[in-house]
Amino acid sequence: MKKFFLISLLYINIIISFDVYAINEVNVYSYRQPILIDPFFDQFTKSTGIKVNVLHAKKGLLERLLSEGANTPADLVLTVDIARLNQFVKNDLLMPIESSILKTNIPSHLRDSKNRWFALSKRARIIAISNTRIKPGAINRIEDLVDPKWKGKICTRVGSHDYNRSLLASLIAAHGETKAEEWAKGLVANLARKPEGNDRAQAKAIHEGVCDIAIMNTYYYGKMKFNKKNTEQKFWADSINIIFTNQNDRGNHINVAGGGLVKYSKNKENAIALLEFLTQPKAQALYSSMNYEYPVNPTLPLSEELKSWGSFKEDKLPVEKLAELAPVAQKIIDRVGW
Amino acid sequence: MYNWNIWSVSVSIVALVIIAPVLAIFYSAFIGDTSLWPHLFSTVLPRYIFNTIFLMLGVGVLSLFFGVSTAWVITRYNFIGKTFFEWSLLLPAAVPAYIIAYTYTDIFEYAGPVQGMLRDFFGWTSSKDYWFPEIRSLGGAVLVMSSVLYPYIYLMTRASFLSTPTSYYQVSLMHNRNAFFHVALPLARPGIVAGLALVLMETISDFGTVEYFAVETLTLGVFNVWLGMNSLSGAAQISSILFIFVIVLLTLEFLARRRQRFHEKSSGQDTLSPLSLKISNQCICLVLCSIPLILGFIIPVTVLLNFVFKGLAVINYLEIIQATITSIILSISASFVVIFFATLMIVVTFYKSNTSQRVLTFLASCGYAFPGTILAVGVVVFVGWINDLIYFHLSYLAGGIIVLFFAYLIRFLAVGYGSIKSGIAKIHPNIVDSSLTMGVNFFKIMTNIIIPLIYTNMIVGGILVFVDILKELPMTLLLRPFNFETLATYVYQYASDEMLEESSLAAIIIVLTGLGPIVYLNSTLKNISKKKSKLV
Repeated sequence: MKKFFLISLLYINIIISFDVYAINEVNVYSYRQPILIDPFFDQFTKSTGIKVNVLHAKKGLLERLLSEGANTPADLVLTVDIARLNQFVKNDLLMPIESSILKTNIPSHLRDSKNRWFALSKRARIIAISNTRIKPGAINRIEDLVDPKWKGKICTRVGSHDYNRSLLASLIAAHGETKAEEWAKGLVANLARKPEGNDRAQAKAIHEGVCDIAIMNTYYYGKMKFNKKNTEQKFWADSINIIFTNQNDRGNHINVAGGGLVKYSKNKENAIALLEFLTQPKAQALYSSMNYEYPVNPTLPLSEELKSWGSFKEDKLPVEKLAELAPVAQKIIDRVGW
Repeated sequence: MYNWNIWSVSVSIVALVIIAPVLAIFYSAFIGDTSLWPHLFSTVLPRYIFNTIFLMLGVGVLSLFFGVSTAWVITRYNFIGKTFFEWSLLLPAAVPAYIIAYTYTDIFEYAGPVQGMLRDFFGWTSSKDYWFPEIRSLGGAVLVMSSVLYPYIYLMTRASFLSTPTSYYQVSLMHNRNAFFHVALPLARPGIVAGLALVLMETISDFGTVEYFAVETLTLGVFNVWLGMNSLSGAAQISSILFIFVIVLLTLEFLARRRQRFHEKSSGQDTLSPLSLKISNQCICLVLCSIPLILGFIIPVTVLLNFVFKGLAVINYLEIIQATITSIILSISASFVVIFFATLMIVVTFYKSNTSQRVLTFLASCGYAFPGTILAVGVVVFVGWINDLIYFHLSYLAGGIIVLFFAYLIRFLAVGYGSIKSGIAKIHPNIVDSSLTMGVNFFKIMTNIIIPLIYTNMIVGGILVFVDILKELPMTLLLRPFNFETLATYVYQYASDEMLEESSLAAIIIVLTGLGPIVYLNSTLKNISKKKSKLV
């Protein structure tokens, strides 16, 4: 009985410490880790006094929100990939926002035509090459990767990762499904090793001489190059050159991180305020200086860090298209075994 | 005769509630469209199934070898360091599989110290000069998973060896038969199979290791279909294949136990006293016991400590202390809940239920073999139905803590079952029967006779569950309330971004917190033999 009493006390303790139904706050379901997004929220709380509560998970937030329905405590959803964001739209979980601030701060191809989702930052998927073993200019387009002369020279992470799936979706949009599948098949034939690791691991592999060419996102390059804690990663970044692809045709493939207002939000005004805050120059500058992502707000100049590897022309394909083609891309990935 | 009593009916209802989230997964598998099947069949499914079977076989064989061989030499022989190995062989159980995968990659990949040393020694300059086994492979996954999962087998096998009476071994000597193959092994079979079932269920449900090593198992496939093709129903369909694997496993375990009864005789026989060995043979024992300990504990912990020292400056101590407190309170209270239900369900099924009720209770333990995230989605869907049904939101209660407890119950009931079942099986039926003839009611029998007799098993089960919950990641991640970090989620948010310096201290704390209870486990094991001599 004593034990039972003790345990009940502990429960009550937990319950009290995680009470989220206070007055001035906003509840966020985030696919992005708190460590990367907390600095933004801290700034927001400082300037508005609104407290931000976060729940982070990489899988299943959609299902959680669906099942919670009208009872959900969530006000805002933040994702790191357009396909995921689009799933929330498809399941009718997001509510349109009429905000002149969001409209001014975000170019139209980076937000929903019905104002249900908004991109907050851009990430470019680029090619990294060894700066000693591959001549600059030898590769210019993403399509060049399937040239048989690169056999056994390319490293990537698994095809079914969001970023590769989205890249393949952009190729489907550009060339059609058959051509895109040929490309994927050619890429797999040129791989130096079984797809594994994350983007950083591919740069490391180039550094180690396991391969000469890799596909990666620019912000990983930034995180390695400017890594103050783990200086070893600087060596990885120093042994590669990065190439923005397709600069003479459709432009380099981009994906976005973004967010939307939950349909059943109980703190609508706070949630909209947070979303708007994230598109303002102050927060947008954080995206580029902290996470090395590209700001969506066109009025903002690139940070010194981003400028260090140059500007680029981006593929203007509406990002919704990427979400739409993702399942098709996944099937190709299954077929070619990427 | 006892089929429809209040006990068995209420336990059946509890079992149904526990199975419900799994049923929710099946439900979405069957209502969903099956248009993906031809595609999956012709492309990835054969590969997924092959890899899953191979992984299970590999982990099964290797962890049986580690677990049974060490349990035997420790019970049977005296050798240098035996008292140390006795408890330290349990330590790998405290190391989460997703952490060991990170640490092994760090050591054995191209840039790691092992290959670096080889290159320096032989003068190789690039990866093209030599061949080295790839750690991120099926074989690598077999190695790391066996290294942390074998303690389940070691624990249960050793308990069986310890409780086998000496006279049986003496008989084998008289007939000139091998004591290990003809006495110890056959009698320990239920323990071995129970341990193996747990190991294989953990293997099937693992996501962290196979994802990190890019080994395409069914579990990895579940995620590719779910998130890649936005098809939860397709994912649920693949999970159903997983479920077939699980049913086969559980049935094997059930059969292994059913054919035999393993009551302790109250004759107060002595158990085996260990033999002394020549020095050369002692060395063999030493090597046999060192290998799994080095692989499952010393290597990963050394790597983690190395990261901790490298990252002392960047560690956020306050956050880690908070996460530690949360983790410990959560794990202790949830393991009480799990053991409470496991005991109630096993005791009632054992004494008061008919076959169909037994099957129900038995099915309630299958949650252990589902990938955590999928199970969590099942919980989410089920809780959603309940909400629609009774217009009351469970996740409002304690900000979701209750739901989290429910999820742990579904997932770890199997672990509690395992140890409580072996306790119950050893209570001689006469004890309960004679109480019944005296007209004592079942509640009294349970509290006065059964529970005291299986108390140790409850503690053992509770400790295993505690350590499991401490390590649990995917369900905690999805079902937790806002601003809620456990040690596992804390490790995950850094480790998933390859920030190992920041995450290693929390990982070490998971291991250390698990250590105390595990060492205690060992002392309960030792008591098995002592207690019996006291009974004389």
